[in-house]
Amino acid sequence: MKRIVWWLPVFALSAFLLLEVAVRQALLLLIGVGLGVVLAQARFGFTTGWRLLLERRDPQGVAAQLLLLGLASAAAMPLLASFGELHAALGAPGLAMLLGAFVFGLAMQLADGCGSGTLYKAGLGISYNLLVFPLFALGSFVGSLHLPFWNGWGQMQAVGLVDEFGVSGALLLTAVGLLLMALGVRYWVGPGKVWWHRRWVWGAVGLAFFATLNLLVAGQPWGVVYGFGLWAGKVFAGLGLWDPSTSVFWSQPAHAQRLSETAFLDVTTITNLGILWGAFWVSLRHRSEAPVKLTTRQMWVGVLAGFVLGYSSRLALGCNVGAMLSGISTGSLHGWLWVPMAFAGSVVGVRWRRSLFESSPDSGLVQGART
Amino acid sequence: MSHKVQSMVFWGVLITFLAWDWMSSPTVDLRKEPSWVAAGSGQATQGAHCSTPSK
Repeated sequence: MKRIVWWLPVFALSAFLLLEVAVRQALLLLIGVGLGVVLAQARFGFTTGWRLLLERRDPQGVAAQLLLLGLASAAAMPLLASFGELHAALGAPGLAMLLGAFVFGLAMQLADGCGSGTLYKAGLGISYNLLVFPLFALGSFVGSLHLPFWNGWGQMQAVGLVDEFGVSGALLLTAVGLLLMALGVRYWVGPGKVWWHRRWVWGAVGLAFFATLNLLVAGQPWGVVYGFGLWAGKVFAGLGLWDPSTSVFWSQPAHAQRLSETAFLDVTTITNLGILWGAFWVSLRHRSEAPVKLTTRQMWVGVLAGFVLGYSSRLALGCNVGAMLSGISTGSLHGWLWVPMAFAGSVVGVRWRRSLFESSPDSGLVQGART
Repeated sequence: MSHKVQSMVFWGVLITFLAWDWMSSPTVDLRKEPSWVAAGSGQATQGAHCSTPSK
């Protein structure tokens, strides 16, 4: 069957959203599909980029991420200053956020993907990420229930660079921060390395483009994790296993509203669905890839890592997309604090991953590393 | 379980969840539909994000 036929379900869902929900949600679905196609076609992996840097001193993945952060910041910050309706991804830094980012960075190496990575690899049909996906959602939900406890450890007010220093100041500070990161990478990898991989460069440009569209249309930056927790919460509440009024987090008006109304009204749900479908569409070109059989140990690691990934993403106030990309590009201080903590976690995670998986010749994780 | 079956199960569960959620949720009031594009609409956005503050 021609791949073009597989656009029909997207058009059908888009038409349904257009007629029954909101034009904005139909537009967001198409933006999500764009994100999914770019992520899957470019195999744009935040997790893989960090691992390549740590294990092989290969800067190509991280260079593309820095390019993405720069492009997205250059687009988002002036927009935030121009349109009062748009929100930055302002997270309130705290001890729990720092700890959550560290654990998230560790777990994403074992889960072979962050939020967006898990989504698009599940869309591609990769066995390991299909296993991680529901546990990620469960962990995200349980993490949201415990957030008030963790935030009790201490939390400061959110800091927005655009509000504090204006657009020019925020852009200058962001450029300096990205330059310092690039210099750190250059110091680590040494001279004579290839910095740019064409596939990841156009992936960064594509992701910056669709992330900006997301901000313009949704009024908020691109996010992934919230939708996961919402889906699990709906299931538990729907089955009568949980009373949302007992949760401090889900009792807040904005979250209670998301829980009570259809998921099709939730921004992150729509873009997540689009990403899944976009990746699935890309996967139709790669059907000849040999299926990977997971070992029992890999399955257990996937289950645990998926849950911890979801749980820690709530403490960390987002994943590589919600906290790092959206946080930094919209000038949130918490994005800048998230990166070093998550990277430190990845240093540990990469070592664990090596000891857990490299001995297995038929590892789904090894396949993931090549993507 | 083959790749194809795994993917079919995944999509089957996801579509079932979305259908169940749609059926069990209140009907969307189209009169309260937000503008097509948030930027320039003059309306405050109501979406939730993973960085959304929690008390």
